[in-house]
Amino acid sequence: MNGQALWFLSRGTGVVTVVLLTFVVGLGVVTAGRRRPHGESATVVMGLHRWLSLGMLVFLATHIITAIADGYVPIGWLAVVVPFTSPYQTLLIGLGTLGVDLLVAVMVTSYLRHRIPERRWRAVHWLSYAMWLVAIVHGFTMGSSDQPGLRLVSLGCAVVGGLLVSWRVVATHTDRERRAEINAQEWT
Amino acid sequence: MTDILDAIVAAGLTGRGGAAFSTATKVKAAREHRATLIVNACDGEIGAAKDAWIVEHHLHELVEGAALVAPGRRPHVRYAAHRGSRTAAMLHAAGLHVLEAPHRYVSSEETALISLAHGGLGRPMTKRAPFIFGGRDSQGHRIAPTLVLNAETLWRISQIHRNGPDWFRSFGTAADPGPRLVAIGGHIVRPGVYESAAGVTVGELLDLAGGLRPEVTHVGVGGLGGVVLTAAQARTTIWDTAGMKAHGGSMGPGLITVWNPAECPLETTARLLDYAAGESAGQCGPCMFGLPALASDWRRLTESPRPEGAQALLRRVALLGRRGACAHPDGVARFATSALTTLEPEFAVHAVGACSARRSRHAQYA
Repeated sequence: MNGQALWFLSRGTGVVTVVLLTFVVGLGVVTAGRRRPHGESATVVMGLHRWLSLGMLVFLATHIITAIADGYVPIGWLAVVVPFTSPYQTLLIGLGTLGVDLLVAVMVTSYLRHRIPERRWRAVHWLSYAMWLVAIVHGFTMGSSDQPGLRLVSLGCAVVGGLLVSWRVVATHTDRERRAEINAQEWT
Repeated sequence: MTDILDAIVAAGLTGRGGAAFSTATKVKAAREHRATLIVNACDGEIGAAKDAWIVEHHLHELVEGAALVAPGRRPHVRYAAHRGSRTAAMLHAAGLHVLEAPHRYVSSEETALISLAHGGLGRPMTKRAPFIFGGRDSQGHRIAPTLVLNAETLWRISQIHRNGPDWFRSFGTAADPGPRLVAIGGHIVRPGVYESAAGVTVGELLDLAGGLRPEVTHVGVGGLGGVVLTAAQARTTIWDTAGMKAHGGSMGPGLITVWNPAECPLETTARLLDYAAGESAGQCGPCMFGLPALASDWRRLTESPRPEGAQALLRRVALLGRRGACAHPDGVARFATSALTTLEPEFAVHAVGACSARRSRHAQYA
């Protein structure tokens, strides 16, 4: 495979990873939100959340391996796990590395979910937001200026993710509203 | 001196706060666990007035009864009353330790008072075991062994102590012994608190307060957790456990409210159910969602009386019982069921666009 093919493959899988990641995070946000899906739809949403995150790994791995194997720019295998060690674009590649590290933490705790306390798993799972954010920044800033499509995809993902997060913050639930309303009454 | 516990056992005294649980069992458990005492003088039920009456007229005997149950050189007794109420003021004036509860329906419930006394909110707690043994609240805070008795129960204990169990049993029936107070209110000549006993008819009780007026159509017995009777039923229903049970109720906390005949009884019920829904402590789903749903079911049924509507309401009622930390949803379910049964002819009248209250109002001013 010649260098250009690897370069294209790296770009392509990177973009797909960001899209999939946004989708997975979005499904997670929907599940964690106060108007979470019930019954069968909850099973579908949860299944998609888990299986898409696994599928995303294939694209992410391809993205990383091809970017380094390409060799057009010096990155180095150490930069896969240790942030800010890449000679090329130390900061921006480092963000991608940071995302990988956070992803590893989230995945390991998720696989050990039945063995660790729920709140530990939850605390680590909150890092998904940071992971998604660094991935978006990495994707947007590394997107080449001569290919606006790549940047637009990252931008689109940022907008979609931002909307979902705002929904989660704003959305309320009758249960919560009624409890808050009753709590505000005189009880002592 | 005979032990007061033996005297209570011999007298067969039951709690006068509504649940009619054996007082002897509670006092015995309280002694074994060295429980502190809370005297419930809240008059928490709608239309209740007897706790205030006791505090006003028999405070000395009430304190004496409390001292009998919570012995010791310096017994720890708290007197619970609604904040800002006349009862609270009288208790304060007597120099007693007053536990001021918020003026809420569920805050005068036994475990809500215990929670309040332990620095918590005035909301009922889940009874994993009776709090007379001590225990923990839902957050895991320790709750010391606490006994809660209604003010009338303690007053009766002091009377049993003074006059003996035989005197006590000379009132009432064998199954429901002892004198008991009844608060009579609503559309009646002389509302007030009256001394009575089980075995008479509800109509005879109402005679104490001036009797049922001819225009009266319905009578509520036991408040929000009680039942509704027609005036005819009230005249014949025997005021004892069996007689009230035949109508799905109990003697409860001893109160009878004569409903205003100028107001549509369906509307009176709707108002009470709305109030009940608003009084949920928001802790248990069946209560915080079930009661507002029940109240709106009732309103819907009032607007368009149909058998399906009544069935929907009964299905809702079936979801409420024994599913709360306290018996608030149970009581409201009982009241709604009774109202639905007793007011069935009223629904029939409404189905053809009329209302018996309008008729009687015209009759009144004719």
